[in-house]
Amino acid sequence: MTMDETDLRLDGNAVAGMLAELFGFEMTVERGGCAACGAVNQLGALLVYAHGMGAVACCPSCGQYLLRVARGEGRWWLDLRGLAWLQLDEQARMAG
Amino acid sequence: MGRLSWRLADVAEVRPETERVVGLALDVPDWDGHLPGQHVDVRLTAEDGYRAERAYSIASAPDGGRVDLAVERLEDGEVSPYLAGELRQGDQLELRGPIGGYFVWEPDRGGPLLLVAGGSGVVPLMAMVRQRAATGSRVPTRLLYSSRTLEDVIFREELERLAAAGDGLTVTHALTRAQPPGWTGYSRRIDAVMLEEVGWRPGERPLAYVCGPTRLVEAVAGHLVALGHDPTRVRTERFGPTGVP
Repeated sequence: MTMDETDLRLDGNAVAGMLAELFGFEMTVERGGCAACGAVNQLGALLVYAHGMGAVACCPSCGQYLLRVARGEGRWWLDLRGLAWLQLDEQARMAG
Repeated sequence: MGRLSWRLADVAEVRPETERVVGLALDVPDWDGHLPGQHVDVRLTAEDGYRAERAYSIASAPDGGRVDLAVERLEDGEVSPYLAGELRQGDQLELRGPIGGYFVWEPDRGGPLLLVAGGSGVVPLMAMVRQRAATGSRVPTRLLYSSRTLEDVIFREELERLAAAGDGLTVTHALTRAQPPGWTGYSRRIDAVMLEEVGWRPGERPLAYVCGPTRLVEAVAGHLVALGHDPTRVRTERFGPTGVP
């Protein structure tokens, strides 16, 4: 069997550490709304394509990218245009 | 929960689990404990400063500062050949965690429980099964576990022992590539018929946790939903070779 896009597709769990580093919350249990189709999902359920420089997380319902993250040269880039909203539960905050 | 920071763990034990999988027992100073299904990020730094990170699920039930991993050696991997080939007892390993909250089960979340694993995807499910046993939980639990051959089954003896306890855990194996003489288990990939035979009926409202290679996870989750299971009670974790940034 050859590798194709399917084999590279992960889910939100795979980038939980990176998102926790960025947001300070355990993000896989947080909910977000898709700006394209309106589906509401916990971030752990998003489809993720990750590579050395960053990751793209997509809506499992319609495939719209919800969150794009890249890291390099001592900076993070974050594109959240695909998310209509993001809900953060105080209970999931990692103590600072 | 402490803010996520990198720390050094001591490698207390390195033991072969199968030909391709190595079990690592780590002692992590100031570890706050973890939940079954959570993972750690492991970071390797080369002499020239190049870094590679990978996520590895925790195989052990919460137990003080002890964290067990099971690492499958990927021949073209950046991290696993070191962890499952060169790392020795007494070495140190940089990690952060515990991480994750979505693919987590604790006995008080109830069941009945359907656990479906492909290959090393059994690792986070093993933490759930071990925690279930450690707490005396009797949540009815069925584990369906697909491996290439009998020799590739990780935690084989322990799973046999746990299933023999008669406390509501059943373990069913599917061997996809080769079967020993007299094999009475499944001899094919996990499919809808198998899930119907081994799993719970949709009306029993099971909680399902599916972990393994992406193709297996997506096929199984698709079958479960098609069989009538509530998609919000089917949780998936895809294992892949890619690193997290």
